Amino acid sequence: MTAANDCSVEDKQGFLVVSVRGEVDLSWSQRLRKQILDALATTRAVVVDLSQVSYIDSSGIAALVEGFQNARGKGQHFSLVAVSKPVHAVLELARLDRVFPIHANLEDAARA
Amino acid sequence: MSANATPRVSGGLVRIGPEEIGILADFSHAFAASLDVGETLRRAVSQIAEHMNAEAAAVFLVDPADGSSICRASAGPVDVVGMRVERGKGIVGRAIAENRVQLVRDTATDPDYLGDQKGFHTRSILSAPLDTADGPIGALQVLNKRDGALFDSHDADVLRLLAVPTALALNNARLTRELVEQNRIKREFQLARQMQKTLLPARRKDFPIVAVNLPAREISGDFYDYFVLADGRIGFCLGDVSGKGMDAALLMVRASSCLRWAGKDAMPPEEWLRRVNIELCETVTRGMFVCVVAGYYDPTTSVIEFANGGFPPLLLRRIDGSVLELRAEGPPLGILDVCEFPSQRVALAGGSLYAFSDGVTDVRGPDRVPIGIEGVRALIERVAALSPRARVRSIIGQLRKMSLADDTTLMLISDDQSPARYLGGIAGYSDPDNLRLVRRAVADVVKLVGFDERACHCMVLAVDEAVANVIRHAYQGSVEGRVELSFWLDDSYLRFELRDFAETVDFTRIRPRDLSECRPGGLGINLIDSVMDRWSFSEPHDGVGNLLTMCKHLP
Repeated sequence: MTAANDCSVEDKQGFLVVSVRGEVDLSWSQRLRKQILDALATTRAVVVDLSQVSYIDSSGIAALVEGFQNARGKGQHFSLVAVSKPVHAVLELARLDRVFPIHANLEDAARA
Repeated sequence: MSANATPRVSGGLVRIGPEEIGILADFSHAFAASLDVGETLRRAVSQIAEHMNAEAAAVFLVDPADGSSICRASAGPVDVVGMRVERGKGIVGRAIAENRVQLVRDTATDPDYLGDQKGFHTRSILSAPLDTADGPIGALQVLNKRDGALFDSHDADVLRLLAVPTALALNNARLTRELVEQNRIKREFQLARQMQKTLLPARRKDFPIVAVNLPAREISGDFYDYFVLADGRIGFCLGDVSGKGMDAALLMVRASSCLRWAGKDAMPPEEWLRRVNIELCETVTRGMFVCVVAGYYDPTTSVIEFANGGFPPLLLRRIDGSVLELRAEGPPLGILDVCEFPSQRVALAGGSLYAFSDGVTDVRGPDRVPIGIEGVRALIERVAALSPRARVRSIIGQLRKMSLADDTTLMLISDDQSPARYLGGIAGYSDPDNLRLVRRAVADVVKLVGFDERACHCMVLAVDEAVANVIRHAYQGSVEGRVELSFWLDDSYLRFELRDFAETVDFTRIRPRDLSECRPGGLGINLIDSVMDRWSFSEPHDGVGNLLTMCKHLP
């Protein structure tokens, strides 16, 4: 809970991995959105690591949805990995848990 | 059957002998013992003919409808029962009109004689009125003394005397018939009233709605109803049918069953009244109409959503004592089938909503002037400190002391049955950076109340979404709008009230979206909808901004 809100991008195993930390809400979800869209603009495969996210609201979910739709439109890879329990709960509530490709970790994402 | 039933003997002294006393006694006894006045009359007419030594006798009774006289019983060679003589015509008409015995020795010389009937030649006639305190009700008549003799003044006296018990018996029978009829009608009305009462819902203990209907007469043109829907909301309606008679009562039955039938479908109030209006327009007699208010009360959010078609304004007395008048936005039902009945919304928030038929405002005070809305407000104010049921009782008691002229119906909806406890609240500006604080506050309260981790996470999310919506939509991103969040607890629910001071939002356009379509925006309401058991927008007490009430059933 104390983790500062942040998101960083790293090149790992052929993916651009967007690692998100903290509580994603309206106050900075635009930043996450931009990171994801920028990443999709520079590479064919983007993975969002949500293991360090203790909270996400619908504006954060919206950023993920937009990334997913963009990627699908261009035939790019877009998946969520290491989805934390709080995030999974929200995805379930919004019935998006079956929409996003979700993997336990980067290795699984690479095999997919 | 008092003094006005007592027949009188017209004219002066009557000379009678033992024979007359005998027949008089027989007559009186026969009439007194008789249950069938028609049969007794037939026997009496024969006895009179016999006693008077007449060839024929008849009794004529006045038909109140047109004043003509109809033969009800006859004796003699020709049956003239059913014969009708116009008012004032013939010897019978004259006896009744003058209320005096008519002695016609030779019909040939009497211009009023109507002529022979069915081949029976009438030479002389004696006709005595059947007199009562209300005037003559008919006449007793004998024709042609046997052996060619003529009727004399002694005969006239005797007939006049025999007319007395006959008139008495007939009058008694008439009054009895009227009384029986009156009793029958009274019983019918009592049955109708009982029937109407069964249409009113049973009084419920610890129920947020209390209502009373006082009919002006036996039956009422007013009605009310309430019922609990499957989702816990309470449907209610209150109506006032134009007119006050049996036709109004029958329309009331029709309107109330229509309303109940449609209301149980839980459709929005505007649709509810729209449908009932169409139904009533198809069947209601021209010139009749029904004023109706109908809606739903949600005990968990305390929001009332209703539509008003021509019914008097509803009064909302808020917890701070201020009173809001909610006027009808639609016309009465049953007039035009294309009318709109816009839904209105109001949150009780500890206050009370009063709905009353115009019988309440039309009650006249000591100055003979209808008390009007102002008078009702004064009554409501006077009883404000009482419990809901005591308030209704007291208002009705005070109305009864004044002069009630119309059907009077009063309904009170209040949520102070189980008052919610204020747990606390936070207030701040519409800055997304404050969302974190909102989440902490919600998490603290939710845990305090006893919800588990998962429920806590969900409620935090829902309230966060609600505040984010206020920031994004109500204040359109401005960080300077004021936002207030308060927490309430009652016996079954934890309640969140989120208040903003932005432009009023069109609540009807806020609906959860279809989750099967995948798009980035508009998820917030869905999350609120799936987390909370109940949520509802309403207009705040002071009419400024918006109030979102969200409720979660306690674990």
